[in-house]
Amino acid sequence: MHRSTNQNHSQILSISLLLLGLVWIGITAVFFDIPSDRGIPMPKEGFLAPEINLQSIDGITVQLSDLRGQAIMVNFWASWCPPCKTEMPAMQNVFDTYKDQGFVILAVNATHQDNAVMAVQFTEEYNLSFPILLDENGSVTASYQIHSFPTSFFIDTEGLVKEITIGGPLPEVLLRSKIKALLEDSH
Amino acid sequence: MFPILQIGPLALQTPGLFIILGIWVGLTISERHSHRYNISPETLSNMVFTFLVTGILGARIVYAVRYFDAFSETPLDFLSLNPGLFDLNGGIGIGFITTLIYGNRRHVPFWEFLDALTLLLAVTATSYYLSQLASGDAFGLETSLPWGIPLWGARRHPTQIYNFLAAIGVLVIIWLKAKFAGKSNIPGNAFLAFIAFSAGARLLLDAFRGDSVIIFYQIRITQVLAWCLLATSVLLEQRRKKT
Repeated sequence: MHRSTNQNHSQILSISLLLLGLVWIGITAVFFDIPSDRGIPMPKEGFLAPEINLQSIDGITVQLSDLRGQAIMVNFWASWCPPCKTEMPAMQNVFDTYKDQGFVILAVNATHQDNAVMAVQFTEEYNLSFPILLDENGSVTASYQIHSFPTSFFIDTEGLVKEITIGGPLPEVLLRSKIKALLEDSH
Repeated sequence: MFPILQIGPLALQTPGLFIILGIWVGLTISERHSHRYNISPETLSNMVFTFLVTGILGARIVYAVRYFDAFSETPLDFLSLNPGLFDLNGGIGIGFITTLIYGNRRHVPFWEFLDALTLLLAVTATSYYLSQLASGDAFGLETSLPWGIPLWGARRHPTQIYNFLAAIGVLVIIWLKAKFAGKSNIPGNAFLAFIAFSAGARLLLDAFRGDSVIIFYQIRITQVLAWCLLATSVLLEQRRKKT
């Protein structure tokens, strides 16, 4: 009898807890709504990618917002960084493969921690044809909160950061799979 | 947020480091207490090892199947050590199924094994929330409360810390249950208690998350899933008590 009473109390407590849980879900939905506007530029998945406005080694000004509608890989690198060097040929290969499908790479050189001459030499040595941008005062590197090189941001056609990879070198198959996912999402 | 730990020329990713440490510490503690659930430390570590190995393999296979075209151009990349080439959900699924089959073949008692695993799960949960704090994932809603933290352009609820503290609380409860587990302990009790408390904590604390996926009318999918887990664990526990 005592055991049966305890079991009944236990069942009542369990049901009450579950009902409270449902009430809490409702309270959360009403009073803790998530703002729909994720248009704050932040270097974080789901947020709008911070603006980039830099000159390339060819002297052309490139602005990230002008590339809205394309799938973008923003890669932060330095000429003294070994994994950065290792992954550049793979990046060139995927750029050649996907550039006609609405994909672009912006390789931002942290010139404030490197130098422009080395960046140009590096570009010529590796025969790179995608835009190489020079972040001379480090403002873009700072706005993207870069802690190590290489760091890559995969940005969708709406300008939202979809994925961030820290470190490298990124194998070509990984680049292909991420770019395919970006391009498929845009269709 | 502290995603990178710089030690000389080495740049270690702290989120991954926290998870690895959590698994190692959790497994060590679980092995010490596993005898209380009639599971030998060797059996526990063999099962966990099986899960990890098959899970990692499975994660790679699933990723390769998803992006078959990419792998077909450079097939040797299937052996790449790059951590980005794994499908986490696929790995967990395959690891779980193969471990279940392995355990069944070795006649490892199911509920006792889950009880023995509980401390590992509880410790790993605490390290998981620390890894979220390190990476800035699972960020909170904006707040003006004095304990709000600056993150992603706003002052936010420190939901990673809330979850970490809740996980510590669950760990203490589970550890006490393991310490005082006696002959009257019903197999599965510790595991179901862990699931119930963890799900309850997620149900409560996900209200403060700013990155939740909404299903409809601002209802968060993680809260619904947590409620379902809570209900299942409570009902199962009641049923096992009766039998």
